[in-house]
Parts: sequence; structure tokens; C-alpha cells
Amino acid sequence: MLRPRVIVCLDVQDGRVVKGTNFRGLRDVGDPVELAARYEAEGADEIVFLDISASHEGRGTLLETVQRTARVLFIPLTVGGGVRTEHDMNALLRAGADKVSVNSGAVNDPDMLTRSAALFGRQCVVASLDAARVEAGTPLGEGPDAPRAPEAGWYHHTHGGRRATPLEAVAWARRCAELGAGEILLTSMDRDGVRTGYDLALTRAVSDAVDVPVIASGGAGEASHLRDGFTEGGAAAVLVAGILHDGLTTVEALKAELMGWGIPVRPVPASEPEAA
Amino acid sequence: MTTRTPPHVTLFDYGAGNLHSLAKGLEAGGARVTITPDWTEALSRDALILPGVGSFGAAVRALEGHADTVREALEAGLPCLGICLGMQLLFDGSEEGEGRGIGLLPGQVRRIRARVVPQMGWNDVDTTPDPLFEGLHASGSGSGVPGGEPADAPHVSAETSRGMTGDESGSGPDVTAVTSPGMTGGEHGDAPHVSAVTSSGMTAYYANSFICEATDPESVIAWSDYGEERFAAAVRRGRSWGVQFHPEKSSAAGLRLLRNFLSEVTR
Repeated sequence: MLRPRVIVCLDVQDGRVVKGTNFRGLRDVGDPVELAARYEAEGADEIVFLDISASHEGRGTLLETVQRTARVLFIPLTVGGGVRTEHDMNALLRAGADKVSVNSGAVNDPDMLTRSAALFGRQCVVASLDAARVEAGTPLGEGPDAPRAPEAGWYHHTHGGRRATPLEAVAWARRCAELGAGEILLTSMDRDGVRTGYDLALTRAVSDAVDVPVIASGGAGEASHLRDGFTEGGAAAVLVAGILHDGLTTVEALKAELMGWGIPVRPVPASEPEAA
Repeated sequence: MTTRTPPHVTLFDYGAGNLHSLAKGLEAGGARVTITPDWTEALSRDALILPGVGSFGAAVRALEGHADTVREALEAGLPCLGICLGMQLLFDGSEEGEGRGIGLLPGQVRRIRARVVPQMGWNDVDTTPDPLFEGLHASGSGSGVPGGEPADAPHVSAETSRGMTGDESGSGPDVTAVTSPGMTGGEHGDAPHVSAVTSSGMTAYYANSFICEATDPESVIAWSDYGEERFAAAVRRGRSWGVQFHPEKSSAAGLRLLRNFLSEVTR
């Protein structure tokens, strides 16, 4: 049977893993290559690098980081952040990413999802959704002419969650899957860094609406949150970051608890002397 | 041949996707690796690896005009490992795109039947005795798991019958049928740890929307379940193997499988 996945996310800036709350107040937590390898040994099912470098230099550093990581990591690596075109995607895949996640790039040019899927296979194409709940009448975009939310709901955001779009999140997720995305990385902006659990209603709404796997993200504080992401949210995978980087728990401990509740996650492998 | 020199394998490059992990995984297994987009070179070393990245259409375009040459080389005994898309190329053709495959194995590639596609993630693989799976039968991971009680590992002994010739199948209801058809999620109250969820095979990483429907069931050497169906997780004909999952993404167990393949190459 297909195992529910526990994915570890590392925010990468200028070649270092950084950590923050609600996309603010960053601090350095280590080397991405070392941390990725450590999480594989702990039993992580996949690794995600989310590049939050603002500069061009930072982007070059990312390719080099991905290359170094691919040499030592033998679980899947997804890389995202700043991907605009299928050429950006190709560069990351050739550097050693297995999948690439796209946010703004798909909003600006939805067809790039289709072109990328045709070139690389849709299993490489991850649509990243940053969804936040807004009230009716909230401006969705910049400037005085920005449209306003016709009703309360979850809307997709770009630019690290700072910029609202008029795209209703569930509909946008469905559209991304139709266009060619093979997976949806669904982050709740409201829960990100808060550690009170995933937004289960949002996760369930998107999981029910699309026929591709959904990764729940934003809000993991303890193992029961992961469990609920699978059982109540209907997620195929859950993303965990802060509680691991802060040393509050380990992937192994989280998986042991999940297995105790009957969630058939992949068992943590024994030590692996053969990894190069 | 019985040479102990490290095998020199070629990794065919269709022009897309990540080849680093696979190259490193093979090197970790002791191989020398050359990545090439040239079929003549690809067929000139000790073994050919067809990687699992890119789309079927793009790979078939790269194969155009060379399919017969590749098939003849494999039929003549050049060891080959096809991974995911690379396994699919060993068959006649695919729903996914125009053009024909290598045609080493009779059958077609078609979309997997399930609500959620692609199949993305770690799935159990029910293996039959084949040198490719040596050391991978008893537990979910590559190396001896502590506390891996022999309780449900009756196949370990079978695997020592190495040097299997062509197809050893014939013998009645094959081994896969004996194994638990997928583990039971809910009810392992007593042992929440490692041993609770291992089946009699390995757990491997998949990322595929298509599967191979082998005309010859005896070519199938491992099975997995997804959605409404049980599909070929691995196939073999002679010295050519195909795996639908990604060993280079399957952590220690996957690296062990690559090493097993390399042992066969030098056998």
C-alpha cells in the first residue's frame, strides 16, 4: 500500500537553512546538505527546499546547493522558490532536484504548468499554493483598482504570502492539476509557524477537489497534527519544518507516534552504512 | 565473466531531469558511470541504465531509429536496468505518447487506474526470489533490521537460490501470492514500531502515472498495489531488468538494489 508521507521542509536563503515565523524574523539553522542527509537518516520520506533568496546571487547559490545535496541524498528532493519558466525548472532538475514547485510562475503564466509537464513529466511539477482566509471585501492585489473578495474564503497568495491574488484557492488548485501539476503543496498562511495544526478544512476541501496528491503544510506542532492531516484533511503527505529544526522532536519520534495510531507510514530504516 | 574490476556502466541521457542521484547511487555501489546521449557509446560498456526521468514522448524521440539496435544488444546479453520510464521503454509502446519502445518485453504501457494520479510516494513491493532483491526480502530496509523476527519471512531461504536461469517461474502459485496483499493499516496494536509495518518485500519510492502491462506474466518479478490494481513493480528478461519505482530515491533499500544489479553485471 502507498504510505502516507512525512516530508521535511527547509527554507533556504543564500545557501543556508533559515527559519522564521510567518515569513519574518529569520535565523540561521544550518547547512542544507547536512540537514537533508540527517533527516533522511531519521526517516524523512522526502525533502523540500524552499528558496527564499531575494538576490540573483542567491539563486546561483541554490543550484550549487541542490547539486551538492543530490550527491548525498537518496530520497526525493523538491525545490521551489522563484521558478518562472520551464527553463528555470529544467535548471533545477538538471542540478539534481526530482520535483520543482511553482507559485507565482504559474499565476503569471498558467500554461507553463502544461509545457513543463509535457517536457519533464507531470510527476516533476508541483503547484505551490499559499492560501489565507480573507473576509468579503478584502482587496485581492495591489493598488486602488485591485478586485475585492466577493465573499469570505481562502485565496491564493504570491510573493511568500505577502500578495493576495483573486484566485480562490480550491478552484486554483483544481486548475493547476488540470493544467499539468502532478502534486499540490498546500500551505495555510494562517497556520504557518503557529503550531496549532494544519488548516484541516482547507486541506480537506482541496484534497476532495483534485485528483493529484496534496501535501498539507503550515501549522504542524505535534504528531497528532500530522495524523489529523491524513485522516481529517485527506492529505497524501504532510510537511514538517520548525518543530524539527528547533529540536523539539524527530522524524523518527513522529513516525513512531503515527504508527501507534495505525497510520501506516514507512518505517524508519535501520542505520545505513552504505549511503555514500 | 568473473572479473572483479568495477563495472563501467552507461547512463543514457534523454536530455531532461535529474541524473545525479542515480549516478551517485551507482558509484556508491562500486560502478564507474558515464552519462551519454549517444546510443553507440551507451551500448559499448558493461551495462546500460535507462533512467526514469522525463516524459515518454521525449524518451521515444531520443530512441527513434535506435530501438532495434538497443533491443539486439540487450538480447545479446548486455545487462540493462530500466528505471520507471526506463522500464516502460523496454516494452512495445505506450498510451502516453506516439512512437514505439525497445520491444524487448511484449506488452503495453498504460495509465494507472486510481483516483489519485500520479502515484507519488513509498509503496510496498512484493518481491519474488531474484538476485536483484537479494537482502531485501526479510525486512522493509536494505540492511538487517534489529528485531526483524523471522516470523513472516519464509522467503529468505528461497532467495539463496541464486544464479537463477532465465525464468524459474513455472512452479505453481508464485511467491507473491503467498505474501500479505498489502499490510493492514489499522490493527497492529501491539507493536507500533519498525516491525509492525514491514511486509515481505521492500518499500520503494514511486512517481508514476503509467504502468506496464506485460503480456508474459512470467516476466514480472515483483508486484505492488495502487488504486484498483496490482501492477508490475519489476520485470526481467534474461539480463535485462526493469523497475517501476526509483531505487535511487528509495534510500538504503534502493542503494542495495543498485548494488545487486551491479553484482549481476560482473557475474
